[in-house]
Amino acid sequence: MATVTTMPTHKRSRELFVRLSAYLTILVALVVTLFPVYWIAANSFKFDIDIFAVPPEWLPRHPTLKHYDEAFIQRPFLRYALNSFLVAMGTTVVSVGFGTMAGYALARFSYPWQWRKQISFWILSTRMMPPIVSIIPLYLFFNYFDMLNTKSALIIAYTAFNLPFATWMMKSYFQDLPVELEEAAIVDGDTRWGAFLHVALPLARPGLAATAIFCLIISWNEFLLSLIITLTEQSQTLPIGIAGRVTQYKTYWGEISAAGFMACVPIVIFAFIVQKHLVRGLSLGAVKG
Amino acid sequence: MASVRFKNVSKKFGEFVAVANFNLEVMDKEFLVLLGPSGCGKTTTMRMVAGLEEATSGDIYIDADRINGVLPKYRDVAMVFQSYALYPHLTVEDNIGYPLKIRKVPPAERKRQIAEVARRVELDSMLSRLPKELSGGQRQRVALARAIVRTPRVFLMDEPLSNLDAKLRTQMRAELKHLQHDLQITTIYVTHDQIEAMTLAHRVAVMNKGVIEQLGTPKEIYNNPRTLFVAGFIGSPPMNLIPGEVTNGVFASDSFRVGGLGQANVSRAVLGVRPEDVHVARVDGAGVNLVAPIYSVELTGESTFVSVRLGGQLMTVRADKNFAGQIDQQIGVKVTTDRVFLFDGETQYRVDF
Repeated sequence: MATVTTMPTHKRSRELFVRLSAYLTILVALVVTLFPVYWIAANSFKFDIDIFAVPPEWLPRHPTLKHYDEAFIQRPFLRYALNSFLVAMGTTVVSVGFGTMAGYALARFSYPWQWRKQISFWILSTRMMPPIVSIIPLYLFFNYFDMLNTKSALIIAYTAFNLPFATWMMKSYFQDLPVELEEAAIVDGDTRWGAFLHVALPLARPGLAATAIFCLIISWNEFLLSLIITLTEQSQTLPIGIAGRVTQYKTYWGEISAAGFMACVPIVIFAFIVQKHLVRGLSLGAVKG
Repeated sequence: MASVRFKNVSKKFGEFVAVANFNLEVMDKEFLVLLGPSGCGKTTTMRMVAGLEEATSGDIYIDADRINGVLPKYRDVAMVFQSYALYPHLTVEDNIGYPLKIRKVPPAERKRQIAEVARRVELDSMLSRLPKELSGGQRQRVALARAIVRTPRVFLMDEPLSNLDAKLRTQMRAELKHLQHDLQITTIYVTHDQIEAMTLAHRVAVMNKGVIEQLGTPKEIYNNPRTLFVAGFIGSPPMNLIPGEVTNGVFASDSFRVGGLGQANVSRAVLGVRPEDVHVARVDGAGVNLVAPIYSVELTGESTFVSVRLGGQLMTVRADKNFAGQIDQQIGVKVTTDRVFLFDGETQYRVDF
């Protein structure tokens, strides 16, 4: 005879309460993170007067593309965006490329004494210094080599700050992969480099995706180094261009909003593309496969 | 086809000596098993042949070629790993074909060889699957197929059956033995499972603490253990090892006495006798060596293992499957005197009498 068991009422209401609180917390987190994006997006389609309307105009009543025209047609924000794109991509490629090889070397090769630990710590320690400390030496360095106002100078400077991070991420990723797979490849007749290329690297794809997106975001948003190293329109990046619209007499909120909103788009698209890899990449070490 | 020779090979990891002054010749077409407990150096020895570890000192030869320092790809050996080490991002076909691809075998020829090997290990219907879609036994076959696809000079197998369940292990053991017989390739096989060693090997090298304790055919190792370690390691259930004293050919330990040991005199002796060489007898029967209470009775199907108390330890006796004794019941135990072994507790070596 089948018996039907029902959950006691107090248990059911407790479960409901837990579930509601979880959703409420998520809602608060979403509002906090998404409201600024929404507000920028909304402002970018409003006339200047409507941006400061009281009570606030939640949705543009008279939508306009005026600020997009000002930013991307009349002013060189497209150029800034292109610069940002080239610098961010260049930095990401170089950082992930070298970071992957350095990470592999630190994860797999044997070192005498405690050198693996010492080298790893030294690499990480370069991140402990605030970037501003290195600004003057970097400025003098690029000035000496006549590289001020160039995108390559930005790529070099950004790589210096991204590489330790990329190395550590990839190192922990490779340490997570079973070493027997590469050993099997080596015994099967491959070289060490071949085993890295054919076995370790394809398996490290999630790690590569996670590292790449971090490097991309950091380079895309970087402000301080770019402010000092670049002064010309041909070399400046989006954050500098946007900040430049806060002038002595007026702050161009509409243009800032339009450019700011558009600046989010590439990163969001990239994040969507690598999303499925990202989750695994971010849970590194936490979950053993 | 090849022989493998170790000449005074040692391997150290820092201060830890994994393999100490190791000498061994594995004959052409031989199935040699390195048997020992974890940490005895058996896997390290095999990895030195594969080229995954370098010997700290000594020489390793495959045929006449000294292979110290030679890159693994030039050694022409194939290895099956304990974890199978299948490439998770490649299909079964690509896994098996990996060694051929690396050697730039043309695709058509590669396909033919893969198909042939896959048929041999009954994987021909699964070539397009990924390793994660296979069962443990099938994965094991892929690892095996990857090793045999290119007919290497030497096969290395590192506990390849240890991840399988008991039934599958027995089946794969038979298949492995048949395969080696068919292919006639020199094989070095590492295991801690003495049943695997006994059933598969032409010769067994029992290792302990980085050295070979005894090298011989399974029969020799079982019937004539040279040291206390080998005696205790081989056999299931293990040999009864009873410490005591031998005076003028009579062993004594508490109330347990065995005579007829020649004229031997050993003050710290260990008497070894396998459970099948000890029999249950009537308490007042003639020539009974021990009268003791039963500790446990375990029926295995074809026989019953009876443990009796002897001082602070237990002695296992193989009795008939119909044995009907109860726990704590007193029984007599009779030893087949010509099947006992005597060991010197100090040197750990067997004492002949």
